[in-house]
Amino acid sequence: MASVKTIARRSFLIGSSAIAGGVAFGVYSYKKPLPNPLETGLQAGEAALTPFVKIDKNGVTLITPRADKGQGAYSIQAYLLAEELDVDPTQVRLSPGVPSPTYYNSTVMNEGMPGMGHVIGRLMGLQITGGSSTVPDMYERLRRAGAVARETLKRTAAKEFNVSIADLTTEDSHVILPDARRIPYTALASKAAKVKPAEASVLRDPKTWRYLGKDILRTDIVAKSTGRQVYGIDLEFDNMFYATVRANPGIGGGVKSYDAQAARDMRGVLDILPVKNGIAVVADNTWRAFKAAEAINIEWGVPPYPINSDAIWSEMYAHIAPEFQNIQRLNAGDVSTIDGVNKADSLAVEYRTPFLAHAPMEPMNAVVMIQDKRCDIWTGTQIPRFVQSHVAKQTGLKNKDVHIHVQAMGGSFGRRLELTYVLQAVEIAQSMPNVPVKLIWSREEDMTHDYPRPATIAKGRGAVKDGKITHFDLGIVGASLTHSGMSRLASPLPGPDPTLTTGADDQPYAIENYRVTGYRAPENVPISSWRSVGASQNGFYHECLFDELVALAGADPLEERLRLCTDAVTRKILEKAGEVTNWSSRTLGPNRGRGLALTQSFGVSVAQIIDITQTMQGIKIDKVHIITDVGRILDPVNLEAQLTGGAIWGLGHAINCELTYENYAAQQTNYHEHAGMRLYQTPEIEVTVLENSPHILGAGEPAVPPAAPALANAIFAATGQRLREMPFQKYIDFV
Amino acid sequence: MELSVNGQGYTLDVEDDMPLLWVLRDELKIKGPKYGCGIAQCGACTVHVDGMAVRSCSIRVKSVKGAQITTIEGLGSPKALHAVQAAWIEKQVAQCGYCQAGHIMAASAFLDMNPDPTDADIDQALSANLCRCGTYPRIRAAVHLAASKLREG
Amino acid sequence: MKPVFMTRKILVNRIDFLMRVMVLCLLVFFMPSRAEGAPQDSSQNITKIAQAPSLDALPSDDITRNALTEWDKLYSVFSHPRCASCHVGDDNRPRWMGTDYGLDPGEAQFHGMNVNGGMSRIGAETLPCMTCHQEENSDILNGPPGAHVWALAPVEMEWFDKSSAYICAQIKDPARNGGRSLEAVSDHINNDDLVHWGWSPGPGRTPAPFGRKETVDIFNAWIAQGAPCPDGS
Repeated sequence: MASVKTIARRSFLIGSSAIAGGVAFGVYSYKKPLPNPLETGLQAGEAALTPFVKIDKNGVTLITPRADKGQGAYSIQAYLLAEELDVDPTQVRLSPGVPSPTYYNSTVMNEGMPGMGHVIGRLMGLQITGGSSTVPDMYERLRRAGAVARETLKRTAAKEFNVSIADLTTEDSHVILPDARRIPYTALASKAAKVKPAEASVLRDPKTWRYLGKDILRTDIVAKSTGRQVYGIDLEFDNMFYATVRANPGIGGGVKSYDAQAARDMRGVLDILPVKNGIAVVADNTWRAFKAAEAINIEWGVPPYPINSDAIWSEMYAHIAPEFQNIQRLNAGDVSTIDGVNKADSLAVEYRTPFLAHAPMEPMNAVVMIQDKRCDIWTGTQIPRFVQSHVAKQTGLKNKDVHIHVQAMGGSFGRRLELTYVLQAVEIAQSMPNVPVKLIWSREEDMTHDYPRPATIAKGRGAVKDGKITHFDLGIVGASLTHSGMSRLASPLPGPDPTLTTGADDQPYAIENYRVTGYRAPENVPISSWRSVGASQNGFYHECLFDELVALAGADPLEERLRLCTDAVTRKILEKAGEVTNWSSRTLGPNRGRGLALTQSFGVSVAQIIDITQTMQGIKIDKVHIITDVGRILDPVNLEAQLTGGAIWGLGHAINCELTYENYAAQQTNYHEHAGMRLYQTPEIEVTVLENSPHILGAGEPAVPPAAPALANAIFAATGQRLREMPFQKYIDFV
Repeated sequence: MELSVNGQGYTLDVEDDMPLLWVLRDELKIKGPKYGCGIAQCGACTVHVDGMAVRSCSIRVKSVKGAQITTIEGLGSPKALHAVQAAWIEKQVAQCGYCQAGHIMAASAFLDMNPDPTDADIDQALSANLCRCGTYPRIRAAVHLAASKLREG
Repeated sequence: MKPVFMTRKILVNRIDFLMRVMVLCLLVFFMPSRAEGAPQDSSQNITKIAQAPSLDALPSDDITRNALTEWDKLYSVFSHPRCASCHVGDDNRPRWMGTDYGLDPGEAQFHGMNVNGGMSRIGAETLPCMTCHQEENSDILNGPPGAHVWALAPVEMEWFDKSSAYICAQIKDPARNGGRSLEAVSDHINNDDLVHWGWSPGPGRTPAPFGRKETVDIFNAWIAQGAPCPDGS
């Protein structure tokens, strides 16, 4: 596969901004223009008019700065540009470009700090992929960049051929002259460099779109179906070394001592050196590095958190108390009046959700080469600018001399919002300048050094009257993932942590007495964002408690939600859910059950209705209905993929997975104990998407939170058994 | 040591017990087979050995001397797709795509043995290949589509 | 037309290959009985069981009690997860069992990944065992164990979740033990590659108790004392 090297070399070139004979387009002005990162390193006759489109004599390159973890981000970014630029995204080059504040993400910060996202995102230049933000953040920006590039090319052609700009059209990478001559964009590139860019033009009417809203082919689908897609782990360079690391599975505990004598003598081992919290092996082959790493005897230090899961749970439980209150954004009516309700009309329950690993299929890896005054890094990351500044700090180089070449990723689910593996690779590369070193973590290293989804506990209570929910009071306790994550990336954000309650305290209901409180437990295991973040647990708590109260009231789960619903878009979703599942005339038959849950997260309400059968061997999930609304549908094929993938992610982990800790280390070390869902457990899934919302919204995460509670509620409907702790397989078998 | 991969012969000097996966990836630079778990739990490394699907992470290279090894690169190419690859493209199965080479290799070997599988057959044959993105519904659909493509020739 | 033909040819080859594996597999279990199925002359047995206590020296109740103690040891081998997990019934589903799999002692679960050995007991109709289980154990913790021709035991040799009395009766019943005399069973334990795997199951797995040689010795001692089975079903 000679192409691996070719591709690797090409990405090196792009990363170095050594673009020969071309022009780069893209525009987005937010009061004042931000620097165009494509301008650096351009040569005579080239220009970089905007940061998103680059044209040279060899072709068109679309810059897609949001990272592709598998969610199709490159593809939709390319189609957004192409819709205005008139190119075929499957026939042009795509590049993630170089990290730049120009590519800041204004949407993702809104999740953490509502209303402040634009300002902070811009000030900090946060180039982050996450929070289901790519589409909402890029929808306008990229179409406008495509339009500006197109209009500038037309302006160039008008000058060149002395025709009126109004008489020009564009099609498939060509400007069409009035006499039907077709001038390739590539032929106009160097001249366009000298033309003043067109101002932001009027964007095309969606009714005239040729790609968006249609069944488009993902730009990477052929490569990914033929083994030709190159991921970071696949990169090869001449004279490259292969490395791995064994770090303390007690995260942050460090190394007390180690004996690597036997490992040093093993075939292919080139070097063994200490890195932060662990020992690295450099060899001439990944397997030899893995074998040698296994052969090192290491005495670990003790990390700063409780020794095992039991200790973590007890400490956490003790913090559901007023003095540890961290956030309370919802406190309607007076929940304390629940004390006057008779016992038969009220309930009090407890729920738990475990730590969970991200465990994307491609283990963490990075290729690093350090040369005189420059460092090149090829890796899959959601946070290239954080990587850049951390590496600059570690190496003493300037930010501009740290070159990040973002690679396609074999999954992430939030995992690549961290950078430990990159910094380890840099440490190794620092010890051997001028040599490319590829660090690969073994799966065991990956599983035991994840920053998992936080484990949390919830206490819920509520009351009913006359067949209606009157009181809903939920207290949730956990360590702060925002604190944990930001401590590693920058510095901890002050104030309350909304991820403690999001997905529970921001739901579209008006219950008479309605309160959700977040309590903060001390830091335990270092934790991070996991697909759908806080809502992945809090949606479970909210929707299970809601269902328990509905049952207590003798109400109908759908009718009661409709009665309490405050949001028009959500109401339509619920009504549609009733329609597609024939809710009102449901008679599923013996041993069957139907569960409903709806969670609003990342601005998107997703309803899921799950039908199950209780068989002799266990619970069988028959069917999942997903009903949602993301505003205008841009890529229906991938939208369905993201929604079904989200539901499968939610269900697989709810049924099968937990990370438990003993002697400070995660006990689940590979997929035999933490697979998520497999094919045989996967139900039939039907997706219905409405377009009532005025916003353009992302769908990578919002389908996760309602999956677990919809299943738990279905199991209750079929069996009368309430499952209040995940993974469900601890309590009931599944087939 | 002599190996035959995708119809091409190679001479190598490697340990007998090196897993085939690492011979392919790091010695021959054939990157289609992926490392996901190293213990035959995910199937991302699946290749064909004399037409049988095998987890290359768990078979030692000494066991495949003299055998015909086929990787995803040898199954078909973008210009000459295998029917299973064509079905995978038509159904747009891949999300991150990291596991899909393994899925495609497993599915193509399975369809050789069972040309007209039911959903239950597929669930038994392909549940040892893991996909963390959750592409399973499309995998089922693509296997059925590939089966019909193969049957029609 | 050609691709269809080729597909069929490949298919035939594949089935042929699997059939050969199946035949081999069956041979492993049945060959000893064919070779040694005829009644043995008793002098041969006595030379084999050199360490057996003299039957004359003990009253018969004590002999039975001693022999049953020997059987209890054998039962602890046969019912051990390393053996019983693949001696499963007609659900054809191997089990994962024991603390090595993160389970409580005695707790079992189905082999992950929806694995089913099929009627062939080698996964021919589903997913061939040999997709993952190669000729040797993986040397990585939790990696797939391996031995020459990995397969489920024939369905009539079901041990999983079976009582001591049931397994004992099965071992002695030629209709359910591959047509073997007890001596042939002893020989099978002594010489079969896949049986031996139970005592060298790879990293992280507790081996079956006693080891190969000691188990053969116990088995022979049990035969010499009349091979009694415990009461029950």
